[in-house]
Amino acid sequence: MTKINTVNDLENLRNKILEDREKFRATLVICGGTGCQASRAGGVIDEIKKELDNHGLNESVCLRTTGCHGFCEQGPLIVIEPDNLFYCHVTPDDVHEIITKTILNNEIVERLLYTDPVSGNLIKTESEIPFYKAQDRQILTQNRQVDPCSIEDYIAIGGYTALGKTLFEMSPESVVQEIMDSELRGRGGGGFPTGLKWAECREAPGDEKYVICNADEGDPGAYMDRCVLEGNPHLVLEGMLIGAWAIGASQGHIYVRNEYPLAVDNIRVAVQQARESGLLGDGILGSKFSFDVEISRGGGAFVCGESTALMASLEGKVGEPKPKDVHTVIDGLWHKPTTLNNVETWANVPAIMKNGSSAFAAKGSKGSKGTKILALTGCIKNTGLVEVEMGTPIKNIVFDIGGGANNEKPVKAVQTGGPSGGCLPVEKFDLPVDFDELYDAGSMIGSGGMVVMDEETCMVDVAKYFLTFLQDESCGKCVPCRIGVSRMLEIVTDITEGRGKLEQINLLEELGDTLSHTALCGLGKTAANPVLSTLRYFREEYEIHIEEKKCPAGVCQELITYAIDPESCTFCGLCKKACPHNAITGEKKQAHEIDLGLCIKCGICRSECKFESIIIN
Amino acid sequence: MHIVYMQYMCIFIVFTLPTMHFNIHHVNIKYFNITEEAHMQNTNLDSILESRRSQPHQLIEVLQDIQEQHGYISEETMATVSEELGVPLMDVYSVASFYKSFSLKPRGKNVITICTGTACHVRGAKLIVNQANAQLDVAPGETTDDGQFTIEHVNCVGACALAPVVTENGSYHHHMDSGKLRKLIKSLESKDTEENSND
Amino acid sequence: MTQQVTLNIDGALIRAAKGTSVLDAALDFGICIPHLCHVSNIEDIGSCRLCIVENIVNGRSKITTSCTLLVQDDMMILSNTDKIRRLRHNIAELLVSEAPNSRAMQDIALRCGVEETRYSFRNNDCILCGRCVRACTGEFGVKPLGFVGRGKDRRVEAPFNLRSKLCNECGRCIDLCPMVMPACDGPMETGKERLCGNCESKLSDTDLTLGYCVGCYFGEGIQCQRSPINV
Repeated sequence: MTKINTVNDLENLRNKILEDREKFRATLVICGGTGCQASRAGGVIDEIKKELDNHGLNESVCLRTTGCHGFCEQGPLIVIEPDNLFYCHVTPDDVHEIITKTILNNEIVERLLYTDPVSGNLIKTESEIPFYKAQDRQILTQNRQVDPCSIEDYIAIGGYTALGKTLFEMSPESVVQEIMDSELRGRGGGGFPTGLKWAECREAPGDEKYVICNADEGDPGAYMDRCVLEGNPHLVLEGMLIGAWAIGASQGHIYVRNEYPLAVDNIRVAVQQARESGLLGDGILGSKFSFDVEISRGGGAFVCGESTALMASLEGKVGEPKPKDVHTVIDGLWHKPTTLNNVETWANVPAIMKNGSSAFAAKGSKGSKGTKILALTGCIKNTGLVEVEMGTPIKNIVFDIGGGANNEKPVKAVQTGGPSGGCLPVEKFDLPVDFDELYDAGSMIGSGGMVVMDEETCMVDVAKYFLTFLQDESCGKCVPCRIGVSRMLEIVTDITEGRGKLEQINLLEELGDTLSHTALCGLGKTAANPVLSTLRYFREEYEIHIEEKKCPAGVCQELITYAIDPESCTFCGLCKKACPHNAITGEKKQAHEIDLGLCIKCGICRSECKFESIIIN
Repeated sequence: MHIVYMQYMCIFIVFTLPTMHFNIHHVNIKYFNITEEAHMQNTNLDSILESRRSQPHQLIEVLQDIQEQHGYISEETMATVSEELGVPLMDVYSVASFYKSFSLKPRGKNVITICTGTACHVRGAKLIVNQANAQLDVAPGETTDDGQFTIEHVNCVGACALAPVVTENGSYHHHMDSGKLRKLIKSLESKDTEENSND
Repeated sequence: MTQQVTLNIDGALIRAAKGTSVLDAALDFGICIPHLCHVSNIEDIGSCRLCIVENIVNGRSKITTSCTLLVQDDMMILSNTDKIRRLRHNIAELLVSEAPNSRAMQDIALRCGVEETRYSFRNNDCILCGRCVRACTGEFGVKPLGFVGRGKDRRVEAPFNLRSKLCNECGRCIDLCPMVMPACDGPMETGKERLCGNCESKLSDTDLTLGYCVGCYFGEGIQCQRSPINV
């Protein structure tokens, strides 16, 4: 590893790397993120290495394994630079053709191209794909450009130059001012002005200060931080270095969820490489600034995403939040001033220092500047990670980027902000992705999870789901959250099982209000949001469950029955064979029937039936 | 009066400080039968504890390593960790029982983890959970009697675009449904019987 | 010489030493803010949320627990507004529904204005207030009692049932436990979720040692000075 002792060393190294790469006529970029690994990208990578060897192409074709590109359902993905030809659903068997036809002969393998589900056309390059075209990928583009385990890749795209500029051309106070001017707000869900947080921490009395990167992304359905930390760990490190210098810290902590093993591995490699090149340690880039980080793994507790609980966990204790009458920027980790920021917040910092705060603030809406990475999932055609300018209307994201509903059932709602957020109906899709506007509407951006729901999603069941999650994850210390969430769950469960009473809706609202005012931490305070927002916009669904004891979406098991449609049944007998409770009877050439007394609605018959003959009443 | 009390306290501390170590050790030896398996685990434990001794804040990292290597955290191990890190045994137990990563009971040979995150839920994760419970007759977090399977839930593995997701022994399975899980469990069962019959 | 500050609680100007909690200052002065997990001279953690007050800062009201809020000069505290009373009522209602057969819970509920509960009754032996855990100091360096598990599985336990071996039998936990005193024989049945109102005593340390045993397992093996209940 080349030692980088000065800003000049950095610049020289960057030029050398770029020079060395001029010999490559093409670069094969393959996504190695967790999603594509689940789709067996590992096999494709091995095959590519073999083929490049066999054809003697190792000196002229560069193979780059990157982090997550975001278009996970199309994986394994390959992008071939410099034209950015885009191949999807690549299998190891396709590799030979890719090398011989595309690399050696410049021919396109048409069957590997992306087919636009809306127009039916084949699309050649990544930038023409509607999914990517409608985005503003300030941070995510870099995921395609770097191998997370290569500090050289990061340096080649200009990495660590922002750090150099900060250390030698600015004062710590002016760095804080720059972040304040950019109006960057926390990307982890709180939306607190980052500049203000840094200013307060800088002012706080004490010589020993800490910076923490919160990578305990616990919102179910959100994986933005995994993607950034896994795919571009040096970007986060650079952000932390700049922040630490600005507030006066010399020690940092990165707290990663244990459920993200690849992210843990990659950040460890990145830290090791940064230390070896002298970018972490003493006298960074020849300045008087010293800084190092420690990596800690979460223990599997959503509540540890809360800042005081995270700090308790770093101190080796149970993750119980503490009252925040004194802010953690003054009394934080080990009772020292601590700046805790989310992964995406740190990832935004280098660009602000490099390009200036006005460039950052030029994007976005009045109260929310810059871009936001969202995890777009659920019942739509194009699922994956997207990055959009703040202020983009939700409907653009769901329909232009997401491509609309993934089966014939129309989109019904979108859930944003995870368990602290809420559900917004289609009528509200004109609302922009904006901290304050979504908050006023009863939801929030949160960390960026956006789950699209269609008519087969029961909103009461969604409320039950989130309450079950929160009951599981509550630390249990304070009465309103521990007992209140459990009682709300009891009531909502009664409603989904046909025992609900109308006055319980008022009780839910009152209990929700009590929680929001009296719970000790953010988890408890926002625990009622999923219930309250579904009550606000989908009250009729609750009323139908209570008054008619029916579930319109066909989800709540106590209120539905399965039946076989005699018109479409082809008597194939697959369902009968698969039913684990022998609830299906029927002879050959006869429409089969389900015995409702034995049926437990496990759903196996529906997944086996190829003719969609099993319907829900 | 105060000065005499202070002197007494000093002497008290001087004499009881060395015995503090003995007290906790006392608990370790007296109340746990150290089995041979535990002896083997102790050598691994040594390497995990190296460079972390007497650092209470390393408790969670140490427990993570133990969980990874041994599959669960036994009472004897907790007692050793308590002694080596200088953390009261009660606190080790509190931490080990608070975080879901840690299992206090041995796990099955095949650990099947079903993701119950929002995206997976909306695409039918509940039916998959029901299938696992029904097919193996265990509650979530439990192990089958024959020690072959443990069913776990996790609230989001971060592969949401491929929902519903099930992980098994490190491999990710995507776009699952109850039928596919049924087949997966059956294939793992027959793989185990094959291996057993080949012994 | 500790610094003194002056703060305003419910219109009364109170002097208190710096480092005191608002709750302690109020109780010393005679303003009875309801509380459960607070015990004098033991660290406050703000877990029961009964002692909430409104802290008026720059014209805006922030609701916070008075046991964790430290006094400051010119602080403006309101402990008995309509909003606070309603919130306290709801918290007390949750508490008493968890353990309706506890005299202490009934007292708290009545004091906070609860007469009927809107939840079905559960019958827990432990209200998880944490007094025993925080008061417990076992043999040097070893803690016999602590919280185990998380969320609805949270419970108070000794590690691996070594309680009798680690405990030095000081009895503090039992002295402070609010559940040791059973309620009167008033009706506490499902379907009749209504407090009878016959228990008049106040919740205070001295009143707890009344000689009744609810058969909590903490009494096992220890010379507890209570007579067992005749079942």
